[in-house]
Amino acid sequence: MNAQQLGENVKQKFGAKVIDFETLGSDQLYVTISPDSLVEVAEYLYRNEGCRYVINGGTDRRQQRDAFLITHFFAQDEEKIYVAIHTEVEPDNPQVDSITPVVPAANWSERETYDMIGVVPVGHPDPRRLVLADDWPEDLFPLRYDVEHGVKPPPVEGLAPERLEPPEGASVVPIGPYFPVLEEPAYFRVFVEGETVVGADYRGFYCGICGYVHSCSYCQAVERAAGIEVPERAEYIRTIMLELERLESHMLWLGIAGHIIGFDTVLMQTWRMREPLMWLCERISGNRKTYGMNLVGGVRRDIKPEMYDDVRNVIDKIGEEWAELAGAIPGDTTLITRLQGTGILTTETARELGAAGPTARGSGLAIDVRVDHPYAAYDRLEVTKCVHDSCDNLARVLVRIEETLDSIKIIHQALDEMPDGPIMAEIDEELPAGRQAMSAVEAPRGEVFHWVLTGTENRPERWRVRAPTYANLQNVPPMLEGNALADVPISIGSYDPCFSCTERMEVVDVNSGQVRVYTEEEFRAEYDQPRDE
Amino acid sequence: MIASKLKEAILSLRPGRVTLKYPFEPHDPEGDFRGYPELDTDKCIGCGGCAAVCPARLIMIQDIDQNTRRLVRLLERCIFCGRCADVCPEDAITMTKRFELSTDSGREDMVAECEVFMATCQRCTRCYEPPTPLDRIMEPGFRDDEIKRGGQDSPYEPVKSE
Ligand code: SF4
Ligand code: SF4
Repeated sequence: MNAQQLGENVKQKFGAKVIDFETLGSDQLYVTISPDSLVEVAEYLYRNEGCRYVINGGTDRRQQRDAFLITHFFAQDEEKIYVAIHTEVEPDNPQVDSITPVVPAANWSERETYDMIGVVPVGHPDPRRLVLADDWPEDLFPLRYDVEHGVKPPPVEGLAPERLEPPEGASVVPIGPYFPVLEEPAYFRVFVEGETVVGADYRGFYCGICGYVHSCSYCQAVERAAGIEVPERAEYIRTIMLELERLESHMLWLGIAGHIIGFDTVLMQTWRMREPLMWLCERISGNRKTYGMNLVGGVRRDIKPEMYDDVRNVIDKIGEEWAELAGAIPGDTTLITRLQGTGILTTETARELGAAGPTARGSGLAIDVRVDHPYAAYDRLEVTKCVHDSCDNLARVLVRIEETLDSIKIIHQALDEMPDGPIMAEIDEELPAGRQAMSAVEAPRGEVFHWVLTGTENRPERWRVRAPTYANLQNVPPMLEGNALADVPISIGSYDPCFSCTERMEVVDVNSGQVRVYTEEEFRAEYDQPRDE
Repeated sequence: MIASKLKEAILSLRPGRVTLKYPFEPHDPEGDFRGYPELDTDKCIGCGGCAAVCPARLIMIQDIDQNTRRLVRLLERCIFCGRCADVCPEDAITMTKRFELSTDSGREDMVAECEVFMATCQRCTRCYEPPTPLDRIMEPGFRDDEIKRGGQDSPYEPVKSE
């Protein structure tokens, strides 16, 4: 099946409710449907066509179309298709049916879409605010074009985020926002009965460290929309940099995982092995982490043939030591006891909640964008999907260990087969406006997804991004349930989270059992810190 | 179990000491490192190319009078991407190897200014035919944060368009 056929299936099933559909190549489908059929179409794609949910986004198109555009993105991994379902909503009555009841993975992104564009998801089971600050005015939706750019509403004091109440009889253990094992601020309210976790609430998200994947995905989306042909050599260079980034990230992650369970040998050794890789990236790109190599049309820096040996030496050395370390892990009962059978995320839940990357593959879901929706040079290279189905923390460790070794192979193959030639496409004209394209990249943590609608003067009109942690964090509450409290940090750590810092301080008075949330002002007053203006 | 622990011990002992003496001994970056973007004010012709591509939008162009153009760079926001150096037609910007850039004397240290004498067309008194790409980047929306609101973040007056 290709995008055209899938479009025809949808058209046949829903008739006049499908206003229009178009395709981009054989792998991207854009369907515009009437608002009243949104839930049906979403359910059909999700249940009958085997689509996986990606994300939701809203666009203010009142100037062009007198409507808000609400878009749900799906992926059909077996058939290598991405699907966008567009619905136009009247500005006077900004409401659209929520699809969360039938597609649970849409939960967060529908809340975010409401925050940003103000189209109410009717029937959403948990319509709390997700991304805006608590004191942000109720009726100011930042992505609407009539909201002035850079607006700063005055802060309001004494507001707290709405929180989920713990189940009857359970107590709350707040983890975060500054928790010693999670180096970034994040905030979980874990509900416990005795030592056993019975539920959790989480707030705050976003993933940012894997920089190359995002610039790559964005450039690919724009190139696709504008019909720019990227030189083959540039595609190979992108692939190599992506794999170097995966190596670097998985090594960092294994170190952190060791650190979380109190096994710092792993931390010290993986980080030591990783350092030469960081220097290699510095030699190639000019910086150890922010490679800054992608531009629309290709890459800015070449990997010159005289550098090939350098690359090979560094990754071979890593491969050798990594295999040794990986060989020691299965025999280490301390490690195995901490990892095996903890943090269970069932295949069912992982699919329902849209897990991505090693988190999904550790739960037996064989999805990997590099294979399912090949980009850059991956269609010419041999990529193995590393899948484990024990669904626990150990599975997620093993997936990453194997992927690291696989990355090394991929880099070797790419170096062998990389053709000569230019690394940038010639772009002489302004990019066409009003075109759209989707693009995804398999980041170390999972699928990064970008959708771009091009605008005039080489600027995007709308750009929607989904980072993998966004999808994976939604899997945390079910993953924590039934665990001992001591296994919570490694379970949270096991999908390599990457957090933004939007949280507050919750204090539980152990004597009275009272919970109180400090606002930023109170918190600062307590610690006598001036608010920096 | 014991075998595993032994393997781990060997793996840990083999490399010996790897920690560098930095900062007590210098550690120079390798390759074409992208450090502090240095501007050679003698070479700059004030074309504004760097301002147009800078992703951090930290280069501001101000026309003080008909013949003087000021380039203000708020380098605290620099992400060291090197795009400015890429596009500069006069090679006035070099990405140096300098990376130890912290300062304790406030943001003034992070602001670099240069004034360029602009030769103007005798007839239209401008350097280029309007609208130049430069006029476009000064439109609200693009450089909005500094230009339109006079820059809440910026110590400088907004550019007045005539
Ligand atoms: S290096 Fe990049 S961020 Fe810094 S001034 Fe140049 S273009 Fe701007
Ligand atoms: S691009 Fe070069 S010549 Fe043009 S304004 Fe910038 S520094 Fe000056």
